[in-house]
Amino acid sequence: MKTLVMGNEAVACGALKAGMSFFAAYPITPASEIMHVLADYEPAIAFVHAEDEIASIHMAIGASLAGRKAMTSTSGPGMSLKQEGIGLAHMMEVPLVVVNVQRVGPSTGMPTLAAQGDILQAAHGSHGDYVPLVFYPSSVEECYRITIEAFNAAEESRSPVTLLLDGYLAHLLETVDLDAIEVALKPRTLEPLGRGRRHFTGLLAKDGVPKTKDSAYYREWYARVKAKILGTAAQYRFFDYQKTAGAETLLVAFGITARVLQPLTRDYSLFKPISLFPILENELRAAADEHKSVVVVEMNDGQYRGEIQKVLRREVRGISLLGGRISLNEIRERLGGL
Amino acid sequence: MDYKDLIKWERMPTTWCPGCAIGTVFKQTTFALADMGIAQDRLVVVSGIGCSGRAAGYFNVDSVHVTHGRALPVAEGISRANPELKVLVFSGDGDLVGIGGNHLLHASRRDANLAVICINNSIYGMTGGQMAPTTPSGAKTLTSPHGTPYAPLNVQGIITSNRRHWYARTSSFHLVHLQKAIREAVERPGFAFIEVMAFCIENFGRRLGYKSGHEMLAKLKQDYKLNPSPTGLLKDNELGVVKNDGQAG
Repeated sequence: MKTLVMGNEAVACGALKAGMSFFAAYPITPASEIMHVLADYEPAIAFVHAEDEIASIHMAIGASLAGRKAMTSTSGPGMSLKQEGIGLAHMMEVPLVVVNVQRVGPSTGMPTLAAQGDILQAAHGSHGDYVPLVFYPSSVEECYRITIEAFNAAEESRSPVTLLLDGYLAHLLETVDLDAIEVALKPRTLEPLGRGRRHFTGLLAKDGVPKTKDSAYYREWYARVKAKILGTAAQYRFFDYQKTAGAETLLVAFGITARVLQPLTRDYSLFKPISLFPILENELRAAADEHKSVVVVEMNDGQYRGEIQKVLRREVRGISLLGGRISLNEIRERLGGL
Repeated sequence: MDYKDLIKWERMPTTWCPGCAIGTVFKQTTFALADMGIAQDRLVVVSGIGCSGRAAGYFNVDSVHVTHGRALPVAEGISRANPELKVLVFSGDGDLVGIGGNHLLHASRRDANLAVICINNSIYGMTGGQMAPTTPSGAKTLTSPHGTPYAPLNVQGIITSNRRHWYARTSSFHLVHLQKAIREAVERPGFAFIEVMAFCIENFGRRLGYKSGHEMLAKLKQDYKLNPSPTGLLKDNELGVVKNDGQAG
């Protein structure tokens, strides 16, 4: 049955559908509704309103090690705090889903206004090298489906997967029949704690023994985890490409921006990546090759534009929608002025 | 069960310096756990960062060595995810009381089902001897070369500010007391915190003028007295257990 569902609610329901049974978070606008929905499911799931965002991601890491699919959710200020845990989960190879509902930053910024300013943070926010898996849905239906896929990708890659939303998408209400959405679930891949003599550590380690001065082993280890995550990423290439006959310009947009741009697809082609990182290089290049120009429209100062330009090695222009305001008229006007 | 089964012998020798107190506490912990006959498959050890944080890797059970200060939240996540597991946190004062202090406030408030062994050596040893929240006032360290200007943090006060609480102060000299405290902490459901007064000869003691680890050990014997049944809180020089089962009072 179709019901009216909010983006944040769909994320919570998707997580439950995926088999998540541990959730820890700290309240923050505009992500709190995910917590509110999941709090009602206690004690069927373990739910912790933690003391801060650092505690909540570390609790989720512990719970995942102990055998539960785990998630934490936050917004930009909390995401900055969670970077420590994201790095730890990469180093210890712990599956996990981290939701970041973006708002205008930096710092406390504009809490109730949406942004897409945490794109590069989602890819490279924690220190050191790692391969990030980042998804960004753009409808309530996708919030549900992509949350489940994020759990699947986390299990397959044994890494923390970031699910980006923005404040507008998170609070968007759409009619959708969640029960009609079928996504096959991946089983757990990590043997739970309490059955072995294993040692999980944030240090570089081989079979549980620290190898903190072994550069050759670091390279071997990094090549293995990189190949593992890229291998998973190859199975999760989500995007939507609407090619418009005669269009000379390809628009690239994600999240709420892709929705707002929809009326422009009469004159422009639109490429909407859902899998943001690793970048869908082949798909983007194929689409870009069919157009004279590429324009990324995003609610930040050109973060994804720069990434795409790097990958495509051709000029990519951008329209930056800053300060939480997004209007089709403004975009149309600025496209005309490019 | 033999305590030897609880040690990863292939990891020996440990990283700890000659004369360090941590090895003693580690070994006493394995004695206590072996005495209790806890199945290795039911026990998980979690450590944070620092000299004491290396302990997790030496226990022959599934163990987790996490980021600085985060041993308590990771351990709480494990414990809540699988309440059948006994989760032991073995870490230092800088980790649990310093950078992880907020987690200590709240894990104890939530009465998380954890047994915590906190090695209090009054210093940041691994990084070379900087002032810890537990460093005695006046003591000179790398980051307080003119003497530590603050009083040490009152860990007993933090734990016992919760109505239901279990706090033990013991030392790396008083081994029978230490073992007994560990057994009681592991048996008790809920948050049990053991502050083990210990010492660091290499990066603290030498600057204070101690000639050897043994001299520092002797100082623990001299400084601390056992109080088997304290009324109210332990005095600064007392070792013992302060507990409340949560009844109003």
